[in-house]
Amino acid sequence: MTSTITRLPTGRLRVREIDLCGWIGQAMPGDILEYHRGFLALDVTPQGTRLAERDRAELCRVARRAWWASEQRLVHLVQRRHGLDDYSYLAIARPKPTSVPATLASLLLEEVA
Amino acid sequence: MPHAISASDLQLLLLEADGAARRLARRMRLPRVELDDVRQDLLVDLIARLPAFDPQRGSLGAFAGVVLRNHATRIAAKIRREREMVGPTPVSLDEVLPGRDGAARGELIAEADGLSAWLGQPVDGFTEVEQRLDVERGLGTLDRRDGALCAALSHATIESLAAQGRGSRSGLYRRLKEIRLALTAHGQRAV
Repeated sequence: MTSTITRLPTGRLRVREIDLCGWIGQAMPGDILEYHRGFLALDVTPQGTRLAERDRAELCRVARRAWWASEQRLVHLVQRRHGLDDYSYLAIARPKPTSVPATLASLLLEEVA
Repeated sequence: MPHAISASDLQLLLLEADGAARRLARRMRLPRVELDDVRQDLLVDLIARLPAFDPQRGSLGAFAGVVLRNHATRIAAKIRREREMVGPTPVSLDEVLPGRDGAARGELIAEADGLSAWLGQPVDGFTEVEQRLDVERGLGTLDRRDGALCAALSHATIESLAAQGRGSRSGLYRRLKEIRLALTAHGQRAV
């Protein structure tokens, strides 16, 4: 179920990498975050972007982190088209994985060994 | 010969000590509750040194200024040492905690809770167990290599790991940043 859509203002970098990670960590399954509005493929290139260089670099990190989170099965990534070159990039939170393949004790023992 | 202190002299000393305490509190970003203690420390030191005041060598104001400045420097150094020991935020048992009906930190923390309670870390057993489980789950989400780095960092610094040849300093810091972000995304908060 998609419950909460977090919508942020347009025309600037909306979310930093740490904000995205923090949101993913706290989001309930079904919560939605619009982590970018625009045309991501263009906005991350130095020639096509409407962002300052610093923000563009941060947007690259945000996009990479969103992709990483989807590979970790933490979020679904979808996009919504509003018009020409205008998309909302959405992350939808998934239930958190519960498996614990490593323990602190085992890691500390390996470190001592 | 000791100089006799008049009422106006005493007024001057109190004013000088008050000014010096305020300057020190502002410079060291001390909480308001510390101001009176600092002022008293400065004043006591100044009064103890008054017998050394010689009116032939200068005014009482100038003497008080020098003595207060020197002692303020010593107090500042002591505060810096304490901050290096317990962290950047000054912690006072007299500090009134927000949302606790005006109770000071010292009234809410038992001696048995230890230093971690002073610094706002949880001391109750259930929270500790929950935190331990969170750490276990968080480590489980990292890859083995990053988990090993976390385990190593529990007893060593980045600098010493770099010196042991476990990677370059900048590389280790980059990995640490990645780990922090990954743990945040998995719902672990920094403590």
